[in-house]
Amino acid sequence: MRCLTELAMNEEALVHSVGGPHLRARRIMSLGLSPGARVRMVRRAPLGDPLEFDVSGCLLMLRSEEAAGIVVEG
Amino acid sequence: MACLADPASADLRFVAVGNPNTGKTTLVNALSGSCLRIGNWPGTTVERVETCFPVGDRHACLVDLPGAYSLAAGTAEERLTRDELLAARPDAVVDVVDASNLERNLYLTLELAELGYPLVVALNLLDEARARGLDLRLEVLEERLGVPVVATVAVREQGMEGLVAAALQARPATLRLDYPESIENAVARLEPLIQHPSRRWMALAALSGEPIALDEPASRLLETLKVELVSLGVDPFLGIVGTRYQAAREIAASVQATRPGVHRLTETLDRWFLHPWLGIPLFLVGMLLVFRFTFQFSDPWVGWLGQVQEVLGGWIAALPLPGLLASFLADGLVGGIGTVLAFTPVLFFLFLALSFLEASGFLARSAFLVDRLMKAMGLPGRAFIPMILGFGCNVPAISATRTMESFSDRLRVAMAVPFAACSARLAVFTLFTSVFFPQHAAVVVFSLYLLGLLVGMLTALALGRLTPPSQAGSAMELPPYRIPTWKVVWRQASARTWSFVEGVGGAILVSVAAVWVLLNLPPGDISQSFYARLSMGLAWLLGPLEIHDWRLAGALLPGFVAKEVVIGTLGVSYLQADPVAPMGLVEGLHEITSGLAGALWATLQAFPALLGLPGIHLPPPEAPEGLPAALSQSMTRSGALAYLVFVLLYTPCVGTLMALRLEFGRRWAALSAVYQLLVAYALAFLAARLPL
Ligand SMILES: Nc1nc2c(ncn2[C@@H]2O[C@H](COP(=O)(O)OP(=O)(O)O)[C@@H](O)[C@H]2O)c(=O)[nH]1
Repeated sequence: MRCLTELAMNEEALVHSVGGPHLRARRIMSLGLSPGARVRMVRRAPLGDPLEFDVSGCLLMLRSEEAAGIVVEG
Repeated sequence: MACLADPASADLRFVAVGNPNTGKTTLVNALSGSCLRIGNWPGTTVERVETCFPVGDRHACLVDLPGAYSLAAGTAEERLTRDELLAARPDAVVDVVDASNLERNLYLTLELAELGYPLVVALNLLDEARARGLDLRLEVLEERLGVPVVATVAVREQGMEGLVAAALQARPATLRLDYPESIENAVARLEPLIQHPSRRWMALAALSGEPIALDEPASRLLETLKVELVSLGVDPFLGIVGTRYQAAREIAASVQATRPGVHRLTETLDRWFLHPWLGIPLFLVGMLLVFRFTFQFSDPWVGWLGQVQEVLGGWIAALPLPGLLASFLADGLVGGIGTVLAFTPVLFFLFLALSFLEASGFLARSAFLVDRLMKAMGLPGRAFIPMILGFGCNVPAISATRTMESFSDRLRVAMAVPFAACSARLAVFTLFTSVFFPQHAAVVVFSLYLLGLLVGMLTALALGRLTPPSQAGSAMELPPYRIPTWKVVWRQASARTWSFVEGVGGAILVSVAAVWVLLNLPPGDISQSFYARLSMGLAWLLGPLEIHDWRLAGALLPGFVAKEVVIGTLGVSYLQADPVAPMGLVEGLHEITSGLAGALWATLQAFPALLGLPGIHLPPPEAPEGLPAALSQSMTRSGALAYLVFVLLYTPCVGTLMALRLEFGRRWAALSAVYQLLVAYALAFLAARLPL
């Protein structure tokens, strides 16, 4: 179990749980990052933040403090 | 095709629902673009698109509901979509689904199925899905959901007849999700107490913690049920949402043989545009291009509209009318209409650029690139584009705040935007700097731009301290790059421009007429007019800013209407107005047509000029002959600097105020005007005291 920010570039994992405030968690899940989804780290923005992820072919951007609330496995 | 004039008389009501970026706008356009009406949802700034078209011998109206990832009201758009769906049962819900992104899109589809309304799925972007190597079994999807699934490619208008035919026959979905037993039991007890066709969906939403309005016995039971579930160790939210995600994932897997990969083109382009160190320079070049595009293309048309206005003035002067009436017609009426129209080319081209950036996927990229900078001000990355657009024209910049989701973020950006020195203010800057700071013109103008930016950023920052940050966070999708259809972008830009003319034109006309009354009554010398008297009072107020001449103070009054007229008014009050030379009909027509040809030619020439390197130089000042000399007599350099700072910071124009009013209501518009005046006065006061 790690948090999403700890993925290496291009590394894939399975979402275990989405934490953080309720509204934010719901929003992140509605974008496709729900428990059981496959996620791959794509890149960091030029200024270091936010991060870009690939969830089943769909690209999402998350600030690191938001990504830190997401626990992944594998 | 005949458009239906009155949507109320339609006998079929369809609604289009779908995730953002699924091509829903394009699809609605393809269904019946020529009958499109674009407005706002009542009391909101969310765009409402409706189109009515004949189907056989009946009339159907299709309302495009705002993009939503789910029916849980996380954003203003999602709330609208949900409320609209619950308010009345449509004859069919058209669910627009991105074929290459089934897993996520089906979540919404499952919720729509739960509503129990007639449903049809438009599997859009099928061409893109195929190009990404996806092999989709539509019949499996149809069977699993129990609703018709129609393959569409909205950009090529493919599948539209099939979609309409399916919508006519749509039935409620047969699919029924099975939730964990404890939740199903709770739903079974709550459902009978809800009077609504979609009671199963409502019971589920209420249990998962959505704010659903229930009557007294139902909400009492809901509390009991929640307590019971928690005592069983069940989190109803995770149980319900989790079941739906799992089902969506499972259905998606059964429909597609392979998992979708990343869009090829997107992968390649992002390697450049989001490159660790090339990304930001490329983005800045892109923004520069947007501005060049806007001004290269709009300048000829602004010029031509000015010419038309002059000709009309000349024709009026040639009529046998009393002087005062002729002056009112030429300056008050034609001048007013001219002022409104002078906005439209810049607006149209900026809106065109904005629509393109939005639909192509670039807007989301810009948010990704500059998010870090915006975060420092407590704003989401999406705040950047509206702020930058403000340097072109404040009006579209304020409309562009719509691309942000949270109200408080939108408001903060909109309060900051008016301090961005728009191109109209530049004309005043160049004239005054050429008179008072000829050696340092560029430095002074550049500092003014910086000052405006700084004041805007501080405003956004300070307001952020007062309002709570948005709860939803700033996670968002980076949609694949797509080439938007010219038709959709063009139509969107014209509709937005038109809604400005409609919403703001009246206010501008009235203010121009009011300025005419001030300047011309009582008839005679301008120094005896109401304008002069009012200006003298104003000059007394502005005394501490080293602005003593009433003619200078007075020009700020029409400057409230539009900054474009400041120099003209200064010219009139210092040099007296040149009587307008009467013009013959033929001569005028010739001028208008040759002007039109010139504008067309200049627009064509702008294409190659777009690619050239932008020169960084100030445009030459434009002013009536003799005005610079008169100005230099009437104020000191300190006064001139204070004047420029004041012009930079006070109310940019009636258009901006009205745009603020349209987006945020009267109170915020008034507050922003007062705030701008206070800031302008305070900083101009300081500027007047700078040792020059
Ligand atoms: N290749 C392809 N592109 C499409 C299709 N439908 C829409 N698009 C493009 O997708 C982008 C987003 O479309 P838009 O209608 O603005 O999406 P909305 O956010 O759902 O309203 C635009 O650039 C469209 O031209 C389609 O079926 N195939």
